[in-house]
Amino acid sequence: MHEPPFDPSRRALIKQCVIGGVAVYSAPLLLMANPGAKNAAPGGAPVGWRNLDESVAPGFRYDAVAKVCGEKIFSRDYRARDMFGWPNQQHYGLVLRAPRADAVYEGLDLGDLSDEIKPYRVVSAEDLGSHKLHLPPYYGDHMLVKPGAPPDFMGHPVAILLFDDFVKYKRAKSDLQFNPSALRFGRSVTPTYTRKDPYASWRIIREQGASPGAPDQYSTLKDGLFFPDIVNHRPQWNASPDKNGNTAERGMYYANKLREDIASGNDYVLKQRYQTQSVEPMSMEPEAFNGWLDSGNATLHVVICSQSPQDFHRQAGGMLAKSPLTTGIKNLVVHTPYIGGGFGGKDHTIFPYYGVLASLFSEAPIRVANDRFQQFQSGLKRHPFIMDNQLAIDRESLKITGLVSDMTLDGGGRVNFSPSVTSVGATAIQSIYYLPRSDVRATCYPSDMPTAGSMRGYGTLQTMAAMEMMINQSAADLNVDTFKLRRVNAMRPGQPNAQGALPNGDVRYVEMLDVAEQHPIWQQREGNKKKFEQAHPGWRYGVGFGIASKDYGTGAQAPSALVEVTPEGRIHVKNCSVEMGTGTETSQATLVARYLGKRADTVSMAETQLFDAMELLETDDPYLMSQETQDKHSKDPHWTPVIAMASSASQSAYYQSHATAQAARILFEQALFPAAVAILKEHYFNSAYAVPDFDDISLASWSQGGLTIAGNIPLALERIVARAREMDLPLGVMVHTFNRWAWAEAEFVINGNNCNYPVDAIALKYAKGTQHNLNKFNFQVANRLSVNYPRVALNNAFVTYYTPCATLAEIAVNAGDGTVKVLRAHTWLEPGTVHVEKLVEGQIEGGLAMGVGHALHEYLPSGNEGAGDGTWNLNRYQVPLAKHVGVWNIKHTLIPPSASTDPAKGIAEVVMIPIVSALVEAIYQATGKRFYHLPVSAEDIMEAFQ
Amino acid sequence: MANLSLHINDQAVGPVEIAPEVTMIEFLHEYLNLTGTKFGCGIGVCHACVIIVENDDGTLATERSCISNALMFNGKRVRTIEGHATRNQNDQVIALHPAQQAFIEHFAFQCGWCTPGFLNETIALVDRLKRNPVPKASLETVIEEALSEHICRCTGYVKYYEAIKDLIESTEHTTI
Repeated sequence: MHEPPFDPSRRALIKQCVIGGVAVYSAPLLLMANPGAKNAAPGGAPVGWRNLDESVAPGFRYDAVAKVCGEKIFSRDYRARDMFGWPNQQHYGLVLRAPRADAVYEGLDLGDLSDEIKPYRVVSAEDLGSHKLHLPPYYGDHMLVKPGAPPDFMGHPVAILLFDDFVKYKRAKSDLQFNPSALRFGRSVTPTYTRKDPYASWRIIREQGASPGAPDQYSTLKDGLFFPDIVNHRPQWNASPDKNGNTAERGMYYANKLREDIASGNDYVLKQRYQTQSVEPMSMEPEAFNGWLDSGNATLHVVICSQSPQDFHRQAGGMLAKSPLTTGIKNLVVHTPYIGGGFGGKDHTIFPYYGVLASLFSEAPIRVANDRFQQFQSGLKRHPFIMDNQLAIDRESLKITGLVSDMTLDGGGRVNFSPSVTSVGATAIQSIYYLPRSDVRATCYPSDMPTAGSMRGYGTLQTMAAMEMMINQSAADLNVDTFKLRRVNAMRPGQPNAQGALPNGDVRYVEMLDVAEQHPIWQQREGNKKKFEQAHPGWRYGVGFGIASKDYGTGAQAPSALVEVTPEGRIHVKNCSVEMGTGTETSQATLVARYLGKRADTVSMAETQLFDAMELLETDDPYLMSQETQDKHSKDPHWTPVIAMASSASQSAYYQSHATAQAARILFEQALFPAAVAILKEHYFNSAYAVPDFDDISLASWSQGGLTIAGNIPLALERIVARAREMDLPLGVMVHTFNRWAWAEAEFVINGNNCNYPVDAIALKYAKGTQHNLNKFNFQVANRLSVNYPRVALNNAFVTYYTPCATLAEIAVNAGDGTVKVLRAHTWLEPGTVHVEKLVEGQIEGGLAMGVGHALHEYLPSGNEGAGDGTWNLNRYQVPLAKHVGVWNIKHTLIPPSASTDPAKGIAEVVMIPIVSALVEAIYQATGKRFYHLPVSAEDIMEAFQ
Repeated sequence: MANLSLHINDQAVGPVEIAPEVTMIEFLHEYLNLTGTKFGCGIGVCHACVIIVENDDGTLATERSCISNALMFNGKRVRTIEGHATRNQNDQVIALHPAQQAFIEHFAFQCGWCTPGFLNETIALVDRLKRNPVPKASLETVIEEALSEHICRCTGYVKYYEAIKDLIESTEHTTI
């Protein structure tokens, strides 16, 4: 077909950045000419998704109609013929991966392929070398295994085979995928990971103040961090303990003293090892890629499947910029459709870069798509933990006196999110409890397993579930009520976390415990056990409780948003999050109603490139920069610590909502409200004779009829917008925000007035643009007079935002085969302000199911039988089915916010945590056997019975 | 190579020359560009790929398209997720199937990847119940049995099952 020249403006592409001479463009979802996409959001919002009555919930999800009609909206759906301007021909790429890492790879053997199904091109490590092609530095090196060297890990790619026809590809794949002779291996070797240093090693020490309310004697927030020496690839904490020494020496003093006191004291001490498994995110859409190198126009077009497109833009641009082969590529166009589930498995995934590599050598658009075996073999996993924990409790007061934990994590073959998962897991172990003294060491090691990433739970699932198991066992050992023990030790407002930082917002753990304790599942458990076991011979009944408080955020969140109102009164929201199925799109559309009187008409996601209009720049790593650096750069009104962030469900609810809400608020305060006041003055008030009394913005509110101010007539949005346009007020507001456990706040000049907002950049869109100092993006960047960023020392707080959640689980264990049946589960969640209750409910139910899988069913072994061997699929890996979760009896209670001004909190992840310890405890109550590893399988239970 | 002719969503398709080992989902995706049917596991476990076969006697059966050879469907009438809603001449949806409506009103799905399989199984179930109504009291068990193998990673199944139950209860002649 005729190829139109590359013309970003005609295609409405948005330039994001220029990396090493490669201009990176983002193409909004469904930009491509796709007749099947007519009913998909955001190309056209489905009629009726939002109720016209804004006081009730949306009728259905924004993306609902597209999803029930099978529209082409997911990354994996797109073929070359769907893509505007691409040739129709579709090629196919097959990534071959090493199923072992204990021998030297000697090369491919394609002898089993007949000539007609041989690939037309094999992309190998030799090609990487000759063209100086490398992975982006984030992922390390050795993109493909070199013949003569061992794979770094099981599942390490060795080559990409390119085919010009689907049937050839299918037949070749069939011949090669499970064929042990397709990849030749030589002599056995010691796996390479044994010669690598840890991916991360952290130590979080705290000793509370000498008296109540006194400053901590030692904490990471107060004293900073220190790190070990790495000797023989193992951390050694060699600093000499010294109470009056430097950070490391003082830390070692308090750490050693705590360990000695626990060992020699009279407190009750539970000393136990806990172990968790490798888990597959198992998002239902396996990863896929489509790409076309349009050499004639020096442009690489890609369709990626990613939770973090912003990261891909930068990393891929950098990858292309550094190879002589790709110096001719001037443009990279990135399409980011919906993804079929993420759970962290598609955040900073390495997969798209193999697609990019295939595209460089392909003769036509090329599709690279994992099947489920390949996804198990190559996709990101949840980190397995081994925790050696010691929990000390005063026998009289029942107060925790100290916690020691030594954690090791398996990070798999490449370093991905391991450093932060390690630190977050380490800090999370305290769960809801106040720890006066603690010493947590956590080290993540490389291995020959598939890479572990930021899968849902992020370390906290592993460590908090273990803490709850300890609390349950301690209560039994001390012969005290488990709720009482929790209540005694639950954090109260004003108490710092194990890093010495105060949690943001109210701390309502005791309230949640009080409510949960009264539930019939708990209150009637003894009677129910008798009744159930009498009625069901061969079954054992048990009830367990768990509670957790999941942090959310990264300490460097940077969401952006644009909110616009058209002359017709239509509201458009654009933001930088990715819709993964959690309903972010729907909630973002809903939350603007607070300021604009109705839900948005359209929402466009993954739009980070758009936000170039704010002309921001970043310079340093936000986690590593000094206060001096931050202070210096803050004087530049274009500077921000971080321009863009990756997307995850738990982050969108709070962080993205803040940006969207602030954009709507500024639009209201700077345009709609002044315009409404002007209308009232002109038409409904004797302005010539008196000073109006309705210019108090706190008196404005939206009703069915429009905006009312202090008893004046309601003004329709369309009328207000028309007046705002006449007044040349900004009807499009773009904001960038930054959060390091507190929001950045800045002073701007808008409409000639100084104003403060909790954002660090604002760009405005005007109807009469020519009268403003517009930039090339047709926005006016609001002059930032000053900015207050949270101090860099807050990085040492690690986390301060939490969402609490508790679960009661009622189960029955089959004494004949060890299977566990969930009879009922009740979850309490404090989600803050709820944007769309149905979405929160769905997150609760889905989170609970994932927790059931983690506790009872899901397991990937380490060693040569692990997922990297390429033979894993759902026939061997049990994702919870409806029958496993007690589908008709999953209930919940949402703890209402303290006030309507409470923010929305991160939600999805936390629900999966307390169910884990609740189930393990319920199994103990049913069987009398405690388990310390996950999952607790039917075989484990049968062994216990014997 | 072999020829395949069939009806998909009331449209005659073929004859199309295909390789004999091509599966039905591959045929839908790579030959017809109908990508609404979703690939999940490729081995018939997750049921995301379930499609409907309209039998000659008017009954509906479901098949897993990822493990079914495309040629198995030669001469048959097949319905996929693209074929349930009523569309206008511009291919825009003007009315949803009651099962689709129930799913969206209950917020049944999240990412939506497993939705085609759940939807097709539900439509076949309702059709079966219309022919063979079941006691209302057994409805939950009937739903569990019909949908038991369908995997969803996002939702915990609750809202799917509630939607299906509501759909059946509001459909005449499905329960006694």
